[in-house]
Amino acid sequence: MNWLSELLRRLWMLMRRQQFDADLEEEMRLHLELREQEQTRAGLTPADARDAALRRFGNTTLLKEESYMAWGWEWLESFFQDIAYGSRAMLRSPALTIVALLSLALGIGANTAIFSLLDAVMLRFLPVKDPAQLVLLGKGNTSGITDDFARTQLYSYPFYRQMRGENQVFSDSAAIFSMTNEVHGFVEGRTESEPMNVQLVSGTYFSTLGVRAMVGRTLNDRDDDSEGDHPVAVISYDWWNRSLARDPNILNRTLKLGARTYNIVGVAPREFFGTKVGESPDMWVPLSMVKEVPPNFGGYKDNFSESLLIMARLKPGISISAATSNVNLLFRQILLGFPDAKLSQENLQKLDRTTVPLTPMATGLSSLRRQFSEPLQILMAVVALVLLIACANVANLLLARSTARARELAVRQALGARRTRIIRQLITESLLLALAGGTLGVALASVANRLLLRMVSGGLDPIPLDVSIDPRLLLFTLAVTIATALIFGTVPAFRATRLVLTDTLKAGRGAHSASGKNPLAKALVISQVALSLVLMVGAGLFLRSLVNLNNVDTGFNKENVLRLEIDSSSAGYTPGEPREVALDQQIEERVSTLPNVKAASFSAFTFHEGSWNSKVVVPGINIDEDINVKHNVVGAGYFATMQIPLLAGRNFSPSDASTSQTVAIISEHTAKVLFPLLDPIGRHYYLGDNKPEDEVTVIGVAKDVKFDDLAEEPVNLDYIPYTQHPWDFGDFEVRYTGDFASVAAAVQQTIHSIDRNLPITRVTTLDEQVARSITNQRLVAQLSAFFGLLAVFLSCIGIYGVMSYVVTRRTNEIGIRMALGAGRSNMRWMVLREMLILISIGVAIGVPVTLAGDRLVSNMLFGLRPTDPVTLVSATVILLIVAAIAGYLPARRASLVEPMVALRYE
Amino acid sequence: MHRDEIPPGTLYLLILKTLARVGEMHGYEIADSIQRISDDVLQVEEGSLYPALQRMLIKGWVKAKWGTTAGNRRARYYQLTAAGRKQLETELSQFERVIGAITRVIRTA
Repeated sequence: MNWLSELLRRLWMLMRRQQFDADLEEEMRLHLELREQEQTRAGLTPADARDAALRRFGNTTLLKEESYMAWGWEWLESFFQDIAYGSRAMLRSPALTIVALLSLALGIGANTAIFSLLDAVMLRFLPVKDPAQLVLLGKGNTSGITDDFARTQLYSYPFYRQMRGENQVFSDSAAIFSMTNEVHGFVEGRTESEPMNVQLVSGTYFSTLGVRAMVGRTLNDRDDDSEGDHPVAVISYDWWNRSLARDPNILNRTLKLGARTYNIVGVAPREFFGTKVGESPDMWVPLSMVKEVPPNFGGYKDNFSESLLIMARLKPGISISAATSNVNLLFRQILLGFPDAKLSQENLQKLDRTTVPLTPMATGLSSLRRQFSEPLQILMAVVALVLLIACANVANLLLARSTARARELAVRQALGARRTRIIRQLITESLLLALAGGTLGVALASVANRLLLRMVSGGLDPIPLDVSIDPRLLLFTLAVTIATALIFGTVPAFRATRLVLTDTLKAGRGAHSASGKNPLAKALVISQVALSLVLMVGAGLFLRSLVNLNNVDTGFNKENVLRLEIDSSSAGYTPGEPREVALDQQIEERVSTLPNVKAASFSAFTFHEGSWNSKVVVPGINIDEDINVKHNVVGAGYFATMQIPLLAGRNFSPSDASTSQTVAIISEHTAKVLFPLLDPIGRHYYLGDNKPEDEVTVIGVAKDVKFDDLAEEPVNLDYIPYTQHPWDFGDFEVRYTGDFASVAAAVQQTIHSIDRNLPITRVTTLDEQVARSITNQRLVAQLSAFFGLLAVFLSCIGIYGVMSYVVTRRTNEIGIRMALGAGRSNMRWMVLREMLILISIGVAIGVPVTLAGDRLVSNMLFGLRPTDPVTLVSATVILLIVAAIAGYLPARRASLVEPMVALRYE
Repeated sequence: MHRDEIPPGTLYLLILKTLARVGEMHGYEIADSIQRISDDVLQVEEGSLYPALQRMLIKGWVKAKWGTTAGNRRARYYQLTAAGRKQLETELSQFERVIGAITRVIRTA
């Protein structure tokens, strides 16, 4: 308590500084006068009495200062003095200040913007209770439905139930459907359907996370205890706001998803976006409704329909390793205990090899993380380098200024200022500059990160990520800013105060023999050039990769194809029923006959949309049993629409109906793998196990296409007609000529004329679809190009600054040389040569650094090696040219020096 | 007249003791009193009293309030606090221990 009351007294004193001075003054005056009176009484003359009193008292100024310093606030006062002085100094040289501020703002702003994205995607904890206690079974890096034995990523609902009931290590656990259901549902009373992202979860989802409803209640275990009986939904705050205008009467409203009507029982808290970063469901519905919510996945009671992620909260004090061993024990027991488990030799061996890893889930799940962690890390490194270059720039500017201030500093040191005090002042000034730059940077970042988010989202609706400026981000920026100030401020400060006083005082405006030789400034320029080269080459590599990717032959013609998605399950169609097949055929037929439309077809996938794959078996041919083939379910018009050439055999025809022989068209590559050295036409294979109903006959071979991404090698791919293998379609493609917008309108109108309730989404071109698959590479290429140019620009400012400074310092020397007959071009060359030496050293250092650094990004490159000589040479040449221009201006000024003026100048 | 500097570190003790004896005093009175009672042997550099008093204010050993002198002048009067009294005891016993020890060393022939 003592220190607290002491602190309060100190603070109290700080408030009344003036009173303090006046009091002390008065007290001391009284003392002196009383002593003077006493001395006078003792017989001294008034003057002597006064002298004696003063002598006995001591140095009043010093004593006052000592009294004040006892309170421990003088640092604060000198800090404010430094700030005031620093601001005045900054305002005195506005050009320098503006350049420094801009450099810093760009550097710090870029760092803040990239970090905000990195933080949102990779680092931030879920807004739930004790996120560090949450774990996920498996690694969470997959989604979909499988029926493979002993999978450790996705689990069935019965498995989840048993795991939850029998484990001893979790305080609670919950299951999450691995995909969100994209439904078109109706808010009760409305006639237009609207898109709703539904996340199916177990009833324990919210209680495991420790999230409470903002309005009403969350889901509970009773909502999940019998299949199909609990049509309830918890809606997100965002959707409540967006679609229902925050209706306070929300708990009395209902929703229609598919055939069922759901009661809204609660609203989730505003900050809660679910458990997947970058996806924010509009509502959460209990898994007991899994068969009712379009597209009606089902599998609630199926022991081996594995489509769920399982997350759990560790009991306090239980370590991950203890939990892991308990979970693995149960994993075996539960799987072996299922009566319908296929306990073949192969499956048992597989089970023996399998362990379930537990993954900490504090930061949530995310597919974005896998996609963007590498590009974001690369960009973070890039912007950190840009900031270093900016720091070097500012350090250079400060160095130049502190040299100009050498006399001022020398005078102050001569008058008794301690060196540490002056260093502190200079660093305070740097801090001030950095803070101003940082503030500008934050302003810049708040605009830039929205732009970034749009780039990352690749032209779709922005990914729901919170990249706004929050306290956490500001803390990061503050840390960066202070680090920046220390980096660029310390060296000039120490240098500026390391003086031979008498020399500096004598030398006037510095004709002293330093003569522009400033190794530190030159070292800074060299490092700027080296870093710029690294960034330029990096940018060059990324740009050329992007060009290479854009020139990849996809195997189909991506131009002039419209694609859209139709959500027929939300409109009440069930895959496989004749009504749906008839609908699809009718749409294909009607759209194909539209003007400007050449062909149209449904397909399960086009490009970069995931896949359905399975192993296939070829009877009588001895090939690897585990061969995996991706399947695309398509209409007969698919090959014409995509312009994929058939190399052999025939296309699907109306005669390939559900009742006739099942057929397939395989890709070139698949033909080579399945039927090496044989004519594939007319041969048979089985999709999955060799059950008769899965047998297909090959009727054609199509040219290889890219299926998932542009960089992939040819994949095993076959095509199956939807007349024989019902599919709940997403994609509809139309090859058109002429104007996209009018064709798109006509196509949608035609679809709605067949069934006006069919929700149509994501109307775009195939070209864009392909472009979206390289969002990553485009992001990195564009941003690294931008930052590379920024780096070069900053370095040019650095070069210009240093060379101008050199010319100014050598004006006298130049004057003498010219007076002695040196020509103007000689002078120009003298300065240019000095600069070229600097740049060459920078390049010489930069090349090996670049070669070492670019190895780290080889994953992100396509079609060229990290040591690509063309990129290296062209980056070097560009850098040389730009730098030469920056250096030419001061060189020209050197050549314009008038000898007489220069000499008289001293 | 020869005057001795006070031993280092004893200034607080002298001020605390003086205030304890008299109760309330201003700076000049404290300095004067120390000198008179020590028969002018102990000389405080009078000004140094004031930084010392500030430090004692921070520590909470003394408190100050403004009042008027006999000559009707405004003056700051200092007064011991409870903490100050405790501090005085601590300093006194410490001082006696040190002096006692020094005396024993000197007396031992």
